[in-house]
Amino acid sequence: MPLGPELLIFKSMMREEWRLHKSFQGAIGSHVFPAVIFAFSAFLSLSAPLILGNIEALRVLLLIHLGALGYGLFVGAMGYIGEQVMTRRLGQVNMVLGIPRLLPVSFRRVMAVFYVKDAVYYVLYSIIPLVLGAAVGAPLAGVSLLTVGRLGLTAFLAFMTGMGVSFLLSAAHIRSRTLLGSLMLLLGCSVASVWPLGALRAGDLLLPLGYWYGRDSLYLLSSAAVALLLSAAGILLMRERFEAPQRASVEMFAPVLGRLSSLGDLGALLAKEWVELRRGGALGPVVAGYIAPLVVIYAMVWLLGEGLGVLIYFNVVFYGGFVGFLGVTVYSWINNLECNEFLNVQPVGVDDVVRAKLVLYFALTFSVSTCYVVGIGFLNGELGLLGLALLASFSNTVYVGAVTSRLTGLWTNTMLFDAKVLSKFAACVVPPLVAVLVASFMIGSAPSAAAALLIGVSAAILIASLPILRSLRSKWSGHRFSFANNP
Amino acid sequence: MPVITVENVSKSFGGVKALYEVSLTVEAGEFFGLFGPNGAGKTTLVRILTGEIGSDSGAGTTAGAPWSDPMEVKRRVGIVPEAETPPTFLTAQETLELVCEIRGVDDPEERIGEWMGFFGMEEKRHVLCRDLSKGQRQKLMLAAALIHGPGLLLLDEPFINLDPIYQRRVREHLRGFVEGGGTVFMCTHILEIAERLCTRVAVIDRGRIVGEGTLDQVRRSEGEALEDVFMRLVEA
Repeated sequence: MPLGPELLIFKSMMREEWRLHKSFQGAIGSHVFPAVIFAFSAFLSLSAPLILGNIEALRVLLLIHLGALGYGLFVGAMGYIGEQVMTRRLGQVNMVLGIPRLLPVSFRRVMAVFYVKDAVYYVLYSIIPLVLGAAVGAPLAGVSLLTVGRLGLTAFLAFMTGMGVSFLLSAAHIRSRTLLGSLMLLLGCSVASVWPLGALRAGDLLLPLGYWYGRDSLYLLSSAAVALLLSAAGILLMRERFEAPQRASVEMFAPVLGRLSSLGDLGALLAKEWVELRRGGALGPVVAGYIAPLVVIYAMVWLLGEGLGVLIYFNVVFYGGFVGFLGVTVYSWINNLECNEFLNVQPVGVDDVVRAKLVLYFALTFSVSTCYVVGIGFLNGELGLLGLALLASFSNTVYVGAVTSRLTGLWTNTMLFDAKVLSKFAACVVPPLVAVLVASFMIGSAPSAAAALLIGVSAAILIASLPILRSLRSKWSGHRFSFANNP
Repeated sequence: MPVITVENVSKSFGGVKALYEVSLTVEAGEFFGLFGPNGAGKTTLVRILTGEIGSDSGAGTTAGAPWSDPMEVKRRVGIVPEAETPPTFLTAQETLELVCEIRGVDDPEERIGEWMGFFGMEEKRHVLCRDLSKGQRQKLMLAAALIHGPGLLLLDEPFINLDPIYQRRVREHLRGFVEGGGTVFMCTHILEIAERLCTRVAVIDRGRIVGEGTLDQVRRSEGEALEDVFMRLVEA
């Protein structure tokens, strides 16, 4: 096949990707996103001399490359998407990737084009704005633009390595569980040889980082070769023919419904949500969504301690308030499973499903956050502060759930990309969160004032949550169930 | 006694007019067929009748409930939408259990067994909907529309993806349903089936009703096929 059709497929896929983003984020949101990335990166680079001043350059580089690698890992899970498209199990969404079903073109070829498209798209959409933003603050940190350019190149290679790894793993997953297990084991051993064994330097595994050890171009060439090799292996592992499995499942709905019968009308919808959460494999990501930001907090504490030489200590009240705020990730995940179009023909409104989702949200967040806060209280030896910490966690969880459901309904993932909705969300949620966090910082020096502030803010947001929760019916009853929010 | 009334209904989508002052009435016990070319406004009208979307102007009722109360409309009717969309992660059995629970069906197990049997889906009871074939999903959508025994069925291409055996079974069931006093409002492109079933028809083109009446009334001459009637009205 000449290159012509591949170029056309590439162009079609680029258009498709752009329109898909537009359907999720709206025209303004998708245009603004690279600008937001640029501004964020510029801000970070301008503040870097202050925050990163005391940190060894190689550690900063390690963080940057790990970030790029992680982003690539996220983008590269496309093999799985390929399988979903080919077996027509992606719901109402059909993609150019599915053309081998009908046209005389090999799936591996189309998948290769899809891979290149994703790399180009994400580089244009996020990595280039990120590098340009970094260039803004570079002169202040005494870093030349040439170095920023080199950093952009190695970050890009780390991104491509991440894409290659996750693409290969997703392709192996489709081919054979044993192969996937072997590759995971190999990957685990490689990582273990760096951490904790210390047999290899991080740059000897993450080759783009290795370039910075001695500015040896061989690292650049070999990392490009590894990224290509990984992607080629992934493409070769893809099947040309897919057969959709027909999976039977143990009945869950009726037993769950039986346990929820006291909830009346909401019981059926809640049982459906719970079954989908379990079968959709989202329970793990929901918990991970709670844990991942806490790792970020840990990293922040580490950065501030290492960078500014200031030891920061967060008490259990701080963590309580913060974990309450993180409830937004849980609400977002439980909206990520099913567009519920089926319910358009049943006597059920979007508002009913929003209320069922909220019940599930409260059940998940209260149980996880309570365990988390109590655990931190024990670890920090702050059992005396547990009452306030649980209050901060509980009130923020309720308030964040109320605000998020009011502003985004069943379309949290897409609507939070809308600048207007995001601004409203921030205006509602950030001030009370800041007040709770300030109260947590005051506890050591002015415990009574801190407790009064905390109790006052918690009471205020709990009271504010009531009318918001009551308004959900009128807010969402006129909407229809759909993939994107098109009321 | 009318079970569907549509009075001067108009609807636009982002500046594109889908319906122009459409008016029609469907009486109890009728098998009413709505035909039209692709994009003529059939599905839009069905979505208005089911309360799924509102109209820009005009008014009407479905099964005696005003469209301003879509929940009541949905409670009173059985609906098969244009696309088959049962919940991805529920099994066929669980989907019908959900429908029975929402609709307050008294004897869910019996009804589910009855409809699974009717559609030959017993072996697929415990298969996730995402793994069912299109035809099996369509059968499930039909079962979900029929399971609570509604008096009015709103069907948008109900025979799509069904094999000839089940097209016949559904056809016979719908005929018996109307003979028993039920009412069917159906959109379809399969004019042969419509010709055998419908007691009254309307043809819609570019958002306007261009012909309406019993089969004899819309025929120009005795024996004129419905397909010819359709072509004549649309091409005119």
